[in-house]
Amino acid sequence: MAGSKYRHSDGVTRPTVVVRDVSMRYHVPSTEAQHVPGRGGPSSLARKVLGRAPLVPVDALNRLSLVAEHGESIGIVGRNGSGKSTLMRLISGQSRPTGGAVYASSVPVMLGVNAALVPELSGDHNIVLGCLAMGLTRAEIDDKFASIVDLSGLEKAIHLPMRSYSSGMSSRLRFAIAASVDPEILLIDEALNTGDAQFRERSKERMDELRAKAGSVFLVSHSLSTIKEMCTRTLWLDRGDLLMDGDPESVTQAYLEYTRHLTKGNNETAARLRDEARGSLTVTEVEARESRRRRA
Amino acid sequence: MVDGVKDEASPDVAGVRVVPVSTQGLLRIGARPGLAEYLRQIWRHRAFIVYDARARVSSGNRRDRLGSAWMILNPVLNGLTYYLIFGLLLNTSKGIENFIGYLIIGVFLFQLSARAITNGARSMQVNKAVIQAFNFPRATLPISVNVREILASVPVLITMLILVLLFPPTEDITWRWVLLIPALFLQSVFNLGVGLILARMISRINDITHLLGFGLRVWMYASAVFFSYERFIDHPRLLAIVELNPLFNVLDIVRDCVLYATLPSWESWAILSVWAFGMLALGIVFFWKGEESYGRE
Repeated sequence: MAGSKYRHSDGVTRPTVVVRDVSMRYHVPSTEAQHVPGRGGPSSLARKVLGRAPLVPVDALNRLSLVAEHGESIGIVGRNGSGKSTLMRLISGQSRPTGGAVYASSVPVMLGVNAALVPELSGDHNIVLGCLAMGLTRAEIDDKFASIVDLSGLEKAIHLPMRSYSSGMSSRLRFAIAASVDPEILLIDEALNTGDAQFRERSKERMDELRAKAGSVFLVSHSLSTIKEMCTRTLWLDRGDLLMDGDPESVTQAYLEYTRHLTKGNNETAARLRDEARGSLTVTEVEARESRRRRA
Repeated sequence: MVDGVKDEASPDVAGVRVVPVSTQGLLRIGARPGLAEYLRQIWRHRAFIVYDARARVSSGNRRDRLGSAWMILNPVLNGLTYYLIFGLLLNTSKGIENFIGYLIIGVFLFQLSARAITNGARSMQVNKAVIQAFNFPRATLPISVNVREILASVPVLITMLILVLLFPPTEDITWRWVLLIPALFLQSVFNLGVGLILARMISRINDITHLLGFGLRVWMYASAVFFSYERFIDHPRLLAIVELNPLFNVLDIVRDCVLYATLPSWESWAILSVWAFGMLALGIVFFWKGEESYGRE
């Protein structure tokens, strides 16, 4: 069940991304104070005195290993809070895991949908700035500038400060900037679902181009049809656990069945399905043949 | 929620598949490069630094109606306040030759440092979106803030010199005015070093922002901006200690050159240089050590 078609041969040849024993735990303030098993000590006492909510640990991602190979498009499905975005942030290097490490053959580029970059600068300044930050030269930027503006679809608004943009406009601009480089490893977090129909069409075209050129693609989406259409392998995460790792058809189907039972309130059936999925999973352990580490 | 109980890591899976992977040729994502490589990366991002600095000079005061004029109005109004309080009411001007010139230089140059340090210190928070969106050496942001402050300070400095010339007693323009350039350069290097240190501290403990304003105010009162040390400190050793203050040495050098037509002492240059380059070295190493932490939520 767990992705027999996508079994790696034993001598791994060209991994693009290696996620090794990665876990992520956040400490967040919780108002649910009394239910937290008392972690005494001076720091929690200090927080109490200062009137701040006590910190509770949240496991966003439990220990997980993963190897992505050249040419794979990996979809990630799961409910809200399942750890999808955390995993993406770890692979892109935006967050550092609390345990383990992520290795990659080149710096991954994330196409996210966050808000403005530098709000007080105009859209065109943000384009140049973003491209320079990604390490492009001025000449390369001059080449790409028109196509970035074109892809963003902002037209005249490109000269206005970014703080005046709607959230859709700024995520379109961000997408256009990030998509201007041809990354070997591409991370897409729900980027397809932004914007109006016209932008969706254009962004999908660009994404297909990038996907064709990229070595590996990671795609987080709630749209199962997108996952099935675009991916060669799919992961199902639930509350920080990896439940399935296999071909998109069977994984999305199992996930769909699970969520259907949840919506109907059949919690026991859903829990059984979850255990079954987890129970038939073959987890990956990465055995690193340590060698001199190349610096980023 | 399906069930309240959280199952433990993985006692219940079907099996374990061990994949041997050679990490050779792979880079660890988010890893901090070595210091030399880090400096090289910063150098490769010099176009980013310059562009960021220049783009933001023009947008800095866009929300104010008077725009960039505030860069000059602010120290002028400050100077006026201090002139009223210290010059006229408290009469700290006694014994200071050309007190107005003395005060103008003090207030204007202090403001340059205060702005550069405050903005450098806040650069990690202000740019969170950029940091999370792209991978680049984070030290470029405090550096670009300081480049921006240098660019923005040119009209401010010109105003300062014009004001010094306007108010009697009139000073002559001598070749020593050229020495302003190395003095202000050293001041900026110092500002950058302090900004780098504070940027990392504030990104970790936000509360330090609240202390920054107090710290700067104490520093201002301790830097002979509107009175001279000699009048209040009799103890020679204490005087020697307060005269190690880097900003005091900047002010001393500039006042010697512009107001008193004397060549600044080599000690002042030495003290200032040690502060500037010492702080820069310390700042870069300290900031670089935290490189992996700045993108965190």
